Amino acid sequence: MNPLRALKIAGGGTASLFLLLLPFLLPLIDIHLATEILIFALFAVSFNLLLGYCGLLPFGHAACFGVGAYATALIFKHITGMPFLLTIMISALAGFAGALIIGFFCVRLSGGYFALISLAFQMFFYAVALKWRAVTSGDDGMSISRPDLYLPGLGSVSLMNIETLYYVTLAIVALAIVACYLFLKTPLGNAGISMRENVNRASFLGFNVFLTRLAIFCFSGFLAGISGALFVVHQEFVATSVMDVHMSFTVMLMATIGGTAHFLGPVLGAVFFIVFQDWISSLTKHWWLFMGIVFVLVVLYAEGGLIGLFKWEKISAWFASEKES
Amino acid sequence: MDIYAMQAIHGLVYGMLLFLVSSGLTLVFGMMGVLNLAHAAFYMLGAYFAYTITTHLGNFWLSLVLAPLIVGILGVGIEHFTLRKVHKSGHVAELLLTFGLFYVIGEVVRIIWGSNPLRVPVPALLAGQIPLLGKTYPIYRIFILGFSFLILIGMALLILRSRIGIIIRAAVSDADMVDVLGTNVPRVFMGVFGGGAALAALAGVIAAPFLSTYPGMGLDILLDCFVVIVVGGFGSLFGAFATSLMLGQLQSFGILWIPRLALVFQFLLMAVVLIVRPTGLFGEKQ
Repeated sequence: MNPLRALKIAGGGTASLFLLLLPFLLPLIDIHLATEILIFALFAVSFNLLLGYCGLLPFGHAACFGVGAYATALIFKHITGMPFLLTIMISALAGFAGALIIGFFCVRLSGGYFALISLAFQMFFYAVALKWRAVTSGDDGMSISRPDLYLPGLGSVSLMNIETLYYVTLAIVALAIVACYLFLKTPLGNAGISMRENVNRASFLGFNVFLTRLAIFCFSGFLAGISGALFVVHQEFVATSVMDVHMSFTVMLMATIGGTAHFLGPVLGAVFFIVFQDWISSLTKHWWLFMGIVFVLVVLYAEGGLIGLFKWEKISAWFASEKES
Repeated sequence: MDIYAMQAIHGLVYGMLLFLVSSGLTLVFGMMGVLNLAHAAFYMLGAYFAYTITTHLGNFWLSLVLAPLIVGILGVGIEHFTLRKVHKSGHVAELLLTFGLFYVIGEVVRIIWGSNPLRVPVPALLAGQIPLLGKTYPIYRIFILGFSFLILIGMALLILRSRIGIIIRAAVSDADMVDVLGTNVPRVFMGVFGGGAALAALAGVIAAPFLSTYPGMGLDILLDCFVVIVVGGFGSLFGAFATSLMLGQLQSFGILWIPRLALVFQFLLMAVVLIVRPTGLFGEKQ
């Protein structure tokens, strides 16, 4: 077996084990933090599906996140007895539908154009959430209570227990991230990547650029919808902040700091962002300054983000030379 | 009837102010292809410098000269030391960089000046009201209107009639060719970036007594500027001008008629324009 591959499998195994045992290792407050990291890791991965793999910068990606979040909150508020997993599924579809509307108008464009129009739609959604008080309660937001999760054969479990919620979140997020990884291996995913490299060539080869990008955009919205739904379940609260510009900026920071060239870059970015935020905001209320400085330094000096600081090629080359000697 | 005329003038004042800010953004975008998010931070810095200079030196007019100068130099420095470095990595990297700078400058402003709104007094010369259409109207707003108009004419003359203007326009349409013909294009970029920053700061100074100075002012104007350059067409100065005035009216009458939906209007306008003309009203094909 290729030693690098062995190393990766060992690393993945250790990480999985760590994630599974985490509630036994960490104090309660950190399990909350870990749950939040999982949720944002999925959001950042969905963001990077567009930025890293399609070369599109969705400046207003919080729109899909927010649609998923509001869908979950509204279902919990108005439909009693709705199964938990079905709610998450519907919220994901709501994110998908939101992405379909936004994507229809913006995937025709690229670069700064795409970024701005995506942001414009997010602001539009935000304005609607803010002003349509009858449904969304506007600025006041809505409190929800976590429902029980009914599992066939196992009975129902309460999500009020944070450890349970952590495992449920872990399962859903892991499933979604693996789905995203596999999605990129499909012909559709590859077509999207080819359009990042050269959109003209892809279109001459007969790919429909509009439909391909729209499909990927919708899938990204679907994943963002799931993360939005989980966010509301974790917070037990939804307000317009789930789809304001800061939410969009946050996910952009996570993905870029972590590194957009690697599939797991945004995951690392989410871990870094939330742990760093937790630490530095206990020291200073101006933590955004330091986050901004880290971000600027990464853009200036570490194009591959934090994950790019690990030189995979060098490790690989080192293994290769070890093998020969 | 009067109230409509009043609202129209309000809208015009805000529209002109918006144009001052968005013109620099549009010029930089047209030339360098950089969507400079830090632009809104320059605007905010202008307003805060106006506050400091007015309260410490007691002279508003001094801030009208000093603030754009300081921010212009800052802009030149930012272009030279950061933006130029990521130019080769493409437009998305440039956009991310200016976005990061926007946040950093915004936080520095919070640290220096605090989070509470600060009031910049209207200069004594322009305080008070004048009779207008049978009512009274603040002189300062008339000043904003006149002053922005002067800047607009000055800019039009500079860009359409001067040698620098010719180079700028040539660089907007084909930077590589201008470079080959012997002009130092990076230096022109730096100048335009600094000029745009100074213009944003100037707008910030005159906005300070009118809109008050608060840390969120950068983001607020940024979102309006986005609407302006998307609807007007990326890189089109005339488009930015027309759309700024249109947006001023839209907000002014939107607040008058349907206050609850005023916020939605401009983004709706943006969506409609994009459906009909994806490159904006006056934009060329991208």
